[in-house]
Amino acid sequence: MRTRIGLALVTLVAAFSLAYAQKGTLEVAVDQAPVGLDPDIVTAFSSFAVVNEIYEGLVGVNAQLQIEPALATSWTVSPDGLSYTFELRQGVKFHNGREMTSADVVYSFDRIMDPKTGSPQASRFNEVAKAEATGPYQVTFTLKEPFAPFLSNLTNLFVVPKEVVEANGDLQKVAVGTGPFELDQVVPDTYVLLKANPDYYRPGEPKLAAIKFNVVPEASTRAAGLRTGTYQLLPTVDPVTAETLKKTSGVTVLGTQDLAYSLLGLNTSRKPFDDPRVREAINYAVDRSEIVQAVYLGNAVPGGPISPALKDWAVPTSDFPCYTPSVAKAKQLLADAGYPNGFSTTIITFGTIKEVADTAQVLQAQLARVGIDAKVDVEEFGKFVQDWKNSNFDMFVSLNGGSVDPDGYLYRTFITGGSTNVFKFSDPSVDQLLKQGRTTPDTAQRQAIYDNLQKQLACTGPIVHIAYGTLFTALRDNVQGFQQMPTRGLTYLRETSLP
Amino acid sequence: MIGYVARRLVDLVFVLLGVSVLVFLMVRFIPGDAVEIMLGANTDITPDRVAALRHGLGLDLPIHVQYWNWLTGVLHGDLGTSIWTGRPVADEILARAPATLEITLLALALALVLALPLGVVSARARGSAGDLVVRLLSIVGLTLPTFWVGVLMLLVFSLYLPGWPAIGYVPFATQPLGNLARMALPVVAVSLPMIAGLTRILRSSLLEVLGSDYVRTARSKGLAERPVLYKHALRNALIPVVTVIGVQLGYLLSGVVVIEQVFAIPGIGRLIIGAINQRNYPLIQGIVLVITAVFVVVNLLVDLAYAWIDPRVEYE
Repeated sequence: MRTRIGLALVTLVAAFSLAYAQKGTLEVAVDQAPVGLDPDIVTAFSSFAVVNEIYEGLVGVNAQLQIEPALATSWTVSPDGLSYTFELRQGVKFHNGREMTSADVVYSFDRIMDPKTGSPQASRFNEVAKAEATGPYQVTFTLKEPFAPFLSNLTNLFVVPKEVVEANGDLQKVAVGTGPFELDQVVPDTYVLLKANPDYYRPGEPKLAAIKFNVVPEASTRAAGLRTGTYQLLPTVDPVTAETLKKTSGVTVLGTQDLAYSLLGLNTSRKPFDDPRVREAINYAVDRSEIVQAVYLGNAVPGGPISPALKDWAVPTSDFPCYTPSVAKAKQLLADAGYPNGFSTTIITFGTIKEVADTAQVLQAQLARVGIDAKVDVEEFGKFVQDWKNSNFDMFVSLNGGSVDPDGYLYRTFITGGSTNVFKFSDPSVDQLLKQGRTTPDTAQRQAIYDNLQKQLACTGPIVHIAYGTLFTALRDNVQGFQQMPTRGLTYLRETSLP
Repeated sequence: MIGYVARRLVDLVFVLLGVSVLVFLMVRFIPGDAVEIMLGANTDITPDRVAALRHGLGLDLPIHVQYWNWLTGVLHGDLGTSIWTGRPVADEILARAPATLEITLLALALALVLALPLGVVSARARGSAGDLVVRLLSIVGLTLPTFWVGVLMLLVFSLYLPGWPAIGYVPFATQPLGNLARMALPVVAVSLPMIAGLTRILRSSLLEVLGSDYVRTARSKGLAERPVLYKHALRNALIPVVTVIGVQLGYLLSGVVVIEQVFAIPGIGRLIIGAINQRNYPLIQGIVLVITAVFVVVNLLVDLAYAWIDPRVEYE
């Protein structure tokens, strides 16, 4: 009898907690519809916002940018740093009800590395020799050489079910993962509806019954919708709108340091930017505080090659002499380089992000003070990307995405021939440091290497780093438990609840 | 009459052919092709993969071959496949047409209901305070950009009527009231310039007719002012108004493109903006073709309406 009452109680509590745990539909307004849903193929941020709720990796990253367990509960690294063994969480189910095992992890890794998939994630795992299932719930990755950013790159290895990929060719229109939410409905250009995964392994999560990502292209419309309560969460809000929303009752505005930075890129394969003195002169000509005030309304900090959000890695800008603006020093350096009267050039940029185009305007005025006559060319975004990719520019102003590991900030961008080194920058000593940085397992030694690199790159590198903005998120006061991420990820939607 | 319509329809084919060639070339002259935009800033893709993608979409073929393939498809009733979603272009357009059609027709109806009385009042009471107000308002209506009016109305409603569902779209079939509530603001925003334009045209056209000899004759034989105005003058004054309606429908469509963006309505306007940004060639071509056809047919209907208004008009 006692057991029966006990059982009834347990059932009651379980039923109650389930009913309690998942309720409400969170109305989110985003600017763009997701462009496909395949986690191994998509590149658009609008896609990742949705994909991140559906799929998970072995490890994840939290709001403090620390690596934490996700589908793996623990891992060990061999003393030589060449072998990582992960213990998988048992009993995790895909949204189609099948249990996830080590075979799925290996399949997902192989799928990313398969050239036929064309995955943009592949280059993150070039240092991995192989992934093996060493047990039903154990996976071992073997590296070609020690690779310090491996764990943080692993957050991009989403575990996908083989049978769904094979049945559909890819995962652009179907979505079956292990994440806190599963795909319910997609109405093109209107909304994406996710519903709670009832089998999710974190106790009591997700707390919401559903999330609706409404596609609302106009910023003022999203803000008006938040005011009226039509929407409850705007994941990204521009600084001007953030200021007005702060004064609105019933609305809370959150802010965190962005990992992405605004930059003035220089084509070092073209004169006069091939001369490090000219690059240094431009750094002296740029007044970053002025840009922070004029463009970001004070909601940004001047920064170097690594975001100040990475507190263990970023060198304070006071260590970079060229971050103290000086027209005299800039003119002197230009004269030394053979341009006593300055020169004429063109800055290309695009209009879809207001801060970017505005930064270009302010930079134009600042460069004029030292005799550099820069024409600003605001291009359509598609054309800009093409010019950027083909190094078809003198200078450009844009926004570069960040990473939770310094290697992610620097390697692809500054290594000779790197995939985003559109500046055609090449410096053997930088190359050597970049390689050391990723193969040195010891954190203190790595820090010394990256300190050195940041100082080398800050003043004479191909990038004039401008500022790291504040990311704003606005939500209704009744939305509980949401936390912002410097990565712009919406990981904490799984802990978000509505009354 | 039938011969006239047939000839106009043959013209339509040539217009469509010409427009299709123009659009086909124009979208390919925009820098950055569909594959490059699709890959975005992603630089890790090998050139082989890019070439394979391009081949898969038929973008590596010579341009005249691409056009011929597309044209034969269209002649067989196949507008092609959207590059990004993989769905037939015709389905994409049909899915979005209801919202745009609804805004356009409601805006047209609203414009007629308001512009006809306003124009008549203004012409009849020429020089009065009422005439002045109507003329001033019509200038304002013509000058204010649709975009601005839309955003302003949205802000005003969010402040003073926060319960009003102003944003988004629900189909009329599932939620008739919700649909009409959401349509109200966009319809008013896009119809304002049309109301203003039609009012002004009707006013000046009516004034001209009211000053003509036959109206003087009608008045001098003792006919009351009402029958003079409504039976004799108004009918003749409508011809230029109908012409303008035909032309304005085209402008209405362009206003709808903007307003769909502001109110987050998934219509043809949003579809074509997205298609252009993504260099989704088949989709751009399909939408432009359909819009052109609608525009030409509307103008044909306008021409036919002349005969209904003025029986003296004949078609040869």
